[in-house]
This record gives sequence, C-alpha cells and structure tokens, in this order.
Amino acid sequence: MAEYSNPEVLVSTDWVAEHIDDPGIVIVESNEDILLYETGHIQNAVKVDWQNELQDQLVRDYVNKDDFERLMSEKGISNDHTVVFYGDRSNWWACYAMWTFNVLGHEKCLIMNGGRQKWVDEERPLTKDVAERAKTEYKVPGINESIRAFRDDVITHLEGNNPLIDVRSPKEFTGELTHMEAYPQEGCLRGGHVPTAKNVPWARAANEDGTFKSADELAAIYKEEVGLKDGDDVIAYCRIGERSSHTWFVLSYLLGFQNVRNYDGSWTEWGNLVRAPIEKP
Amino acid sequence: MNKLEEIIDQFKDADFQETLELLLDYAEDLPGIPDHFEGELENEANRVPECETPVYLFVDINNNIVNIFADVPPESPTVKGLVSILVTAFDGVSPEEVDSAPMDLLSKLGLAQKLGTRRMYGLGAVYNRIRKEVKNKAILQ
Repeated sequence: MAEYSNPEVLVSTDWVAEHIDDPGIVIVESNEDILLYETGHIQNAVKVDWQNELQDQLVRDYVNKDDFERLMSEKGISNDHTVVFYGDRSNWWACYAMWTFNVLGHEKCLIMNGGRQKWVDEERPLTKDVAERAKTEYKVPGINESIRAFRDDVITHLEGNNPLIDVRSPKEFTGELTHMEAYPQEGCLRGGHVPTAKNVPWARAANEDGTFKSADELAAIYKEEVGLKDGDDVIAYCRIGERSSHTWFVLSYLLGFQNVRNYDGSWTEWGNLVRAPIEKP
Repeated sequence: MNKLEEIIDQFKDADFQETLELLLDYAEDLPGIPDHFEGELENEANRVPECETPVYLFVDINNNIVNIFADVPPESPTVKGLVSILVTAFDGVSPEEVDSAPMDLLSKLGLAQKLGTRRMYGLGAVYNRIRKEVKNKAILQ
C-alpha cells in the first residue's frame, strides 16, 4: 500500500490527545457552524472563524498582513508555533483555514485526521473552557500566493491546456444548480463549469468517519480516473474556494502534486465574469 | 410586549460575542421532542428540506393555540439556537400572533449582520416553514 506523499502533515486523534499541553503547538478549531466551538472543544484549542476572522469584511479578499498579525497575536499563536487544525464536515473548514494560513505565510500547519467528528465519535473529552493564551508578537514572513489562483491565472492555465478540478456537486458542475443543494444561492448569472474542468466532488476524498481516503484510493480517483500526472500544474475551484481547499490539501500533501492552486474566486466569480468561457455538458 | 418582541429586545443591543452567547443559551434550552414523536424523525415530510442541517419540525394547533416541537442535531448549534428562539416565541400563542410576526425577523435579531449572510439561508427556511405550517394548520381548524 502506498504512503501519503507528506504523511507528517496529518496527525491522529491519539497524537493530538498526547500533545494537548505541548507548548510548541496550538490547536485551532475551524468550523462552518460559528457556535460549534462554544458547545465544547478540545482542551486548549482556540477558535478561528473563516468568515469573520479570515476574510476581509469589505473587499472580497482575505485579511491583510496587519490584520492577520493582529489575529495571530490575539490567538496567542507565534511564528514558531505549529498549528494543528481540526473542524466539522470532514475537516473541510480546517483545510480552508490551513490554506488561508499558508497564503498568509504560516507554513507550520498540521491537520488532525478525521476532524471534530472522529474526536467526538471516539468519545474523547470536550471542554467549554476557553484557553487563556498570552499574546504574541506575530510577524507575517511573507505572503504566499503561489497556492492561490486569480481569474487571469485561470485563463492562462486554460490556454496552456492545464488540468482543472471542479470540486462542486454534479448538479453544480452541469449547471443545473449554481449553488450547493440546500445552500444559499449567491447570485451566479451562469451555470456550468470552466471548460475542460473535471468534476470530482471534494467529499470523494473523505471516508464516512471524516478521515481522508488512503493514498491508493486517492490515486485511483485523481490519477487513474481523472488523469492527473505527476508534475501537472493543477487549479481546483468550487463556489467560493472553501470546498476546493480540501482538494488542494489532498492533492498537495497526500498525493504530492507540487503545483496546486486554489481559485478562491471560483464559480461565484467565473459564473458572473463577462465573456468568460463556460462549458455545459 | 409579546414573547417575540421580548426576544428581539434581548438581541437588539447585543454585540457580536453577546449574540453568540444568547444564541448558544437558546440552543441549550431547546426542549427535546415528546416520546410519541420519536418515530416521526424518520419521516422526511417533517424535515425542512432547504436546511442542510437535518431539522425536523412538528407543528400542531389545538383550541387556537400553537404547539411546536423540533429536533436539531447538537453539531448545528446555530440552527438549534434559532429554532429554539422560534419555539420559545411561538409555542403557546395563537396562529394570528405567528402570522403577524415580522418577515425580516432574522435582521431584527441582528443575525444576518452578525453571522454573515451565507449562514442565513437555512435559518430563513426554518422560519418560513413554521409560518407556513401554522397558517396551513390554522385553516384546517
């Protein structure tokens, strides 16, 4: 059985349980539900909210360098800390937070395999006590946009016949829906997908218990079925770039693709962009 | 002041953190469903389809009094909090009182502004479902 390309970025619930008091790590919970952390969380874990804390509240963008430094300082995370993310929905939001942290230059990041669901299913303890962490002096070492694609990058990518992975649901891919079923309609004028994109719904990379599928199973999906080849330059997208950050993590860290970018403008940008080419089956 | 107005008043001046705390208190206070409804959790007709969280609602009207029970999983405390607000406000009142509740309740509670619009769709669906069920069942009385 093949190993993940970077097995060291995934840690188990056992590992986290043993490292709860490790001064070198900060456990961060990132959920879709804004209140879930407050109902109980892993001891010493701090909460990061993707919408209110990682996104700029005015411009469609992530927080800037200064705001991120302030956020990290308030959360008690220093440049030397290794951040261990976990969250709801098979770590979908944990991967999103990790991608954002990476863009903002924090590279020492790990994911707890199985996320919140596995921790809860194993009946491990949760606490409502919010950890008191001393403020830090955090300095963003540099912004890393090599893992982020903008719309013009997607156009260049298409011209070079490079692969795109559309991680939305099949109905969104075909254009029958412009949003996730049961999720808000966010105002897309056109349905369909970026030409040549292959549809691999993000959750195919996750097991029922929230853990990631094995390296062999992932290779069967992304390499054999979709045809990605080692060395490929890949762009993943969804609707606003959150589901595709899960796929970004899988392709980059579990399958070892070196050039994977998440197009966070995603369908809510492309589906509204004048003259952007769209394919429908 | 009716119950709903009291709740709106409670949320009116709450800052972001206080809003979360209030919502969490409501989520924790949502009563469980009575035993005789347990079997109904398998019945998809009682589920709010627009809400991604599996929310089950049971609305009944007896002698012009509305009764509401709801089931929301613990991993969705935000939805659970709103459902609990609606149960607190509408359980035991007349159908007319439910009908006269403001359409923009989520805005009045400040939730749309504080939690972000992306989180409002499912919550709005739950609210509309209760209003609709009360209206339909009141007609059948």
